Amino acid sequence: MFFFTYLARELRRRMRQAIFIALGLAVGVGLVITVTAASAGVRNAQAGVLKGLYGVGTDITVTKPPPAFNPASGGGPGPAGSGTRVTLGPGGAEVCTNNKCTHGAQSLDTLSGDASSPLSAATVGSIGRLHGVAAAAGGLSLTDRQLTIPANLGQPGSSLPQPVSFTVQGTDIATAARLGPLSDATLASGREFTAADADKDVAVVDKNYAIATNLTVGKTITVAKTKFTIIGLVAQPQGSTPPDVYIPLARAQALGTSTGNALTGQVNTIYVTAASASDIPAVQQEIARLLPTVTVTTPSSLASQITGSLSSTAKLAGDLGTWLSILVLIAAFAVAVLLTMAAVSRRVREFGTLKALGWRGRRIVAQVMGESMAMGLLGAAAGVGLGFAGAAIINAIAPDLTAILTQPTGEHIVTPAGSSNPTVSHAVAVPLSASVSAAAIAAAVLLAIAGGLLAGAFGSWRISRLRPADALSKVG
Amino acid sequence: MRSVYELSGVCKDFFTGSRTVRAVSDTDLLIPDGEWIAVRGRTGHGKSTLLNLLGALDRPTAGRLLLDGRDLARLGDAQLTRVRATDIGFIFQTFNLVPTLSAAENVEAALVPLGVRQAERRRRVAAALDSVGLADRARHLPAELSGGQQQRVAIARALVKEPKVLLADEPTGNLDEDTRDEIVGLMEKLWRERGLTLVLVSHDSAVVRRAQRVGVMSRGRISFKT
Repeated sequence: MFFFTYLARELRRRMRQAIFIALGLAVGVGLVITVTAASAGVRNAQAGVLKGLYGVGTDITVTKPPPAFNPASGGGPGPAGSGTRVTLGPGGAEVCTNNKCTHGAQSLDTLSGDASSPLSAATVGSIGRLHGVAAAAGGLSLTDRQLTIPANLGQPGSSLPQPVSFTVQGTDIATAARLGPLSDATLASGREFTAADADKDVAVVDKNYAIATNLTVGKTITVAKTKFTIIGLVAQPQGSTPPDVYIPLARAQALGTSTGNALTGQVNTIYVTAASASDIPAVQQEIARLLPTVTVTTPSSLASQITGSLSSTAKLAGDLGTWLSILVLIAAFAVAVLLTMAAVSRRVREFGTLKALGWRGRRIVAQVMGESMAMGLLGAAAGVGLGFAGAAIINAIAPDLTAILTQPTGEHIVTPAGSSNPTVSHAVAVPLSASVSAAAIAAAVLLAIAGGLLAGAFGSWRISRLRPADALSKVG
Repeated sequence: MRSVYELSGVCKDFFTGSRTVRAVSDTDLLIPDGEWIAVRGRTGHGKSTLLNLLGALDRPTAGRLLLDGRDLARLGDAQLTRVRATDIGFIFQTFNLVPTLSAAENVEAALVPLGVRQAERRRRVAAALDSVGLADRARHLPAELSGGQQQRVAIARALVKEPKVLLADEPTGNLDEDTRDEIVGLMEKLWRERGLTLVLVSHDSAVVRRAQRVGVMSRGRISFKT
């Protein structure tokens, strides 16, 4: 009881100094919480982008890079994709697909996946049996390209036709709910795939794409010249880049091509769930050992490919924010230590008297440590408040961030100047939501208390060396 | 009569760089139980150092210093602390009250190391303040008390643990004459009532003359008029 009375009186006597120390610690703690909250927000935003790409349950994706372009093997830079060439001549347009050429008005509709090479569907089973793998599923990421060529194309007065394209995801219906791009979607209307749909011409359409193209449940959408009945609309989380249309994997394999070849019995993306987060690196290595030619992508490796303001903010929060927090904390700790030592110096007579009264050194040390810890706790409480305020300010004023993901299209363009492999960039607007976690608060409170204890420890060190006779002789 | 203190060949040296200063030199002294002894002398001749040695605030460099048969020169820090807590009451020239604590809390501070239970502490603090005539000032802070009242609080603090010995270092040095007489009168009264052994250091002949025996410190040695 006396301990707390004495402690409270001393804090009241040195209220200005106590407030100054507590505020210093509070600013440091508040900054740590704010930076941590901002970093968590950026991490969540990144996770949102990645989750939208590969689904909520996916830890690893396996793809195979497209083969290097060989001009001698054919396949031109036609708008309808690999394997199809459109040539304009005096007699109109000539369209050649796999060396079969036709003339006049016609509609082209191809479903191809040229961004990556196909893998045997059996590979999914091989990966699924690896140690540390909880589940694996195959999918086909394809693009449907449609082009309507008028009969007079190339003639005076004709105009170039506008190609239409949308992304199509061949979905393994058995695993769609827990693995792959459809796993993170929520049903907006209609129904989801069922096992009975595996070989049917049915499609689930992304809600945003459906709105943009005026599609609803019950209508049909044409994929590779085949009409698919829309059975459901799904919504993906904000900040993701979902496929436009989902169709059963078997139908995608039957209709799709890759560099002009059929995709029967093949997939071009394998989605893998590791048994635990710590297994991801080992599973990544095992897959690379099993399939040396594939690209194994983990969330961390994909995150490094994200550019744009999201990436810049992540770097800012990670580097500048952390260092700023550390510097402010060091400054706050230093101020607390110096002020506590100065206060102890001013109280030498007091402590000498207490020693003369028979107080043990450690009781006096405990008193000083108690005072310092109380200031640390005050700083922690104020710091948590500042941290929440900082996070709220970030949420209020921070603009949406942009994540830019650049991926190869799989196409090859040949010009007189040379050939190139074009890439496509997806820009995704991601809201930054700084959130304060309980762990961050706990860590910050511990930091503030550590700051108080550090200050108290330096002051106590001074006291422990104080001989009562010396302390009293300084009084005069 | 039994001696509370027995000093034989006590020396105290201070080391400043390469110099050694002998503050107390080869001192022999017996202080009987219940005696009031006054020590006077010029500044820098070892009065306060002798008082520090008697008060277990410092250890002699050489010699034997017995308090109730225990050689303070050989006790460890923890034991010296215990001796100060139980057997010795201090009164200082500048009162040395903790400025943030009330009069009662300052007195209570002397009982904290003894582990006295709170109810008992309150009873003894009230009695101690009553004995120095400050029962009605228990809740006042030192800054709200006059110099004489502050010294009364300091006396109450020194006596609340019922020590064997009361050591006073210039207890009236910061007081006017009237207050000085009042404080010395109070100390004399308490000394008589409680059978204390009182060692008082002072320059003031009006204070010193009330002691039973007066020693003079000169060049670190104490001598008594016969």
